[in-house]
Amino acid sequence: MLHLIKYRLKSSLRNRQSMFWALFFPMILATLFYFTIFKMEEGDITTIPVALVEKEQGEAFTDFLLEMEKDDSHIISVKEMDEDQALKALEEKEVKGVFYVGEKVSLSVSNKGIEESILESILKSYVDGANVMENVANLHPEGMGAAIASMNDYQNLVESVSLKGVATDGNIQYFFALIAMACLYGCFLGADTAFELQANLTTLGARRCVTPVHKLKMIVVDMIGTLILHFANLVLLLLYLRYVLRIGFDGQMGKMVLVAFMGCVIGVSLGILVGSIGRMKEGIKVGIMLGVSMISSFLSGLMIGNMKDVIEKNAPVINRLNPAALISDAFYCINVYDDPSRFYRNLWTLGVLSIMMLVGAYLLVRRERYDSI
Amino acid sequence: MIKIENLVKRYGDLLALDHLNLEIQEGEIFGLLGPNGSGKSTAIGCMLALLKYDKGSIEIFGKEMTPDSYEAKRQIGVIFQNVAVFEELTVYENIDYFCGLYIKDKEMKKQYVKEAIEFVGLESFQKIRPKKLSGGLLRRLNIACGIAHKPKLIIMDEPTVAVDPQSRNKILEGIQELNRQGSTIIYTTHYMEEVEQICNRIAIIDHGRSIAVGTKEELKKMIKTGETITIEGIQLKESQISEIKEIRHVFQAEYEDEKLIVRCSGTKHNLVRILNYMQENEISFGQVFSQLPTLNDVFLEITGKQLRD
Repeated sequence: MLHLIKYRLKSSLRNRQSMFWALFFPMILATLFYFTIFKMEEGDITTIPVALVEKEQGEAFTDFLLEMEKDDSHIISVKEMDEDQALKALEEKEVKGVFYVGEKVSLSVSNKGIEESILESILKSYVDGANVMENVANLHPEGMGAAIASMNDYQNLVESVSLKGVATDGNIQYFFALIAMACLYGCFLGADTAFELQANLTTLGARRCVTPVHKLKMIVVDMIGTLILHFANLVLLLLYLRYVLRIGFDGQMGKMVLVAFMGCVIGVSLGILVGSIGRMKEGIKVGIMLGVSMISSFLSGLMIGNMKDVIEKNAPVINRLNPAALISDAFYCINVYDDPSRFYRNLWTLGVLSIMMLVGAYLLVRRERYDSI
Repeated sequence: MIKIENLVKRYGDLLALDHLNLEIQEGEIFGLLGPNGSGKSTAIGCMLALLKYDKGSIEIFGKEMTPDSYEAKRQIGVIFQNVAVFEELTVYENIDYFCGLYIKDKEMKKQYVKEAIEFVGLESFQKIRPKKLSGGLLRRLNIACGIAHKPKLIIMDEPTVAVDPQSRNKILEGIQELNRQGSTIIYTTHYMEEVEQICNRIAIIDHGRSIAVGTKEELKKMIKTGETITIEGIQLKESQISEIKEIRHVFQAEYEDEKLIVRCSGTKHNLVRILNYMQENEISFGQVFSQLPTLNDVFLEITGKQLRD
């Protein structure tokens, strides 16, 4: 048995294609995610030069802009100009936008970009605030003083806090989905073992079928060998995320490793199942596995962060059966919800799905004789 | 050792094995000779319980061969037509892996692997992966993986296809050595020279049927041809060809492109009689060859076509 496991490990470890998908691709993707998500947030946004054209004096918006300019964030720098100067400055890209102060406040921009969007947001927040004040003045003039005081005392009242009392980073869900994807990519390793078990798929399969080793033993041994290897892949990925990229995983590492293990089981099982289906060409099987793992990961929020929530609202059964969603949800349970019952339900579901896949694979490969080889 | 009775195997409408009967004795090198598509590999697949068959029975070591015949499988070594090794493992690891599926004792396994490597002459390539081996060396590795556990019965399905002459000779010598060491060998090929060189007994297969079985001498005695005489660089008239056909023991004379091929029954004095005819009729010619019957002649006479057609 150890002899077989040893060589299964060696052959899988040296299979560059499978190892790329199972180990290196998730690491590369994680690194890209890291730089895209976190580094972009950390990036400096330079002060945006704007022109202010006052058609009427004493408007509150002028004060608002000048206050903003003084703010520590230095998000804008304001230059007061007449309209011609302002338009010329806009054309020569000396300013990114021109605010007009008159009966109504308005904004002119010559481009569509992040800086222009920020200027639009500034205008919108002012207009919204002014509308609120107007409503208060009309409906509850007695509360006007309190409303102004409240606005002056503005602060960020919404803070993301997990049920465990730790502030959560909304972007972490991308990494949970990515780990789930990495788990499912074990299907490429699992499929290789399935190809090498069937006499009608490969000559190597034929040679192994004529040895005195029971087929079930071969399947179990290959499964164990592949699982050990892929689990090692996932542990490496977790360590890379936690200690190299310093992604804020706050949950117990032991539990995270347990989820990764169950993820590996289902990934490898999926590969063995797909690899065992009929005489389909290897390329088609690889395509199926890639498709299943990517769709599953997409639905768990790999590309769109709130995808899992959208599915939860519209078709929750998908979240209960989608392996990637189960894996990423289990990570959530450890790091955010602190919900043991949901955590173990996810693990059980992964276990049951894996067993179903393996039974299906065994029923397909146990065939003792083939119509043709 | 092996008994196949009335084996029938169909691939849809194609009858691949048509009531095939074979009996192979212990200690033989038994050749299955037939053209491509004659059913040799299908017969091997059925013997190894890899293929389903429609009718008939197969017994190996006195027992029916099934996928669960693990005791029988333990004593069988197989060399498939296509190389069946792990691309990711080295030469040594491949042989060690397959030997380990049969031999549990570590020391014995180590010794067997060493002997197998020496046997196929891959000592200098032990740490090399299959991708880096030449076609001939790869075939030798394929053989080593099949025989390392010293099986009693070795089944070889065209092991010399696409092999250079040097490796082919090495392989054929190796097969004879394995037989001397006590293994019974079934050897399938469409190269009649190989069969003639190494096999004790031969079955000629065509369209899934065994059309003749025996030693090469027995097979050659089954046919009318005793000697084939070829004369090149000769110019003949139609009347002279007819006269040649009338010479004693000549039963066929073909003339084409200044080349005369004469088939004679019996083996004595045919060449002298034909050369006498040429002298009497003052017919000049180039080279003359005389050939005793080959297995190709056997195949030709029985089926009406060349073995390589």
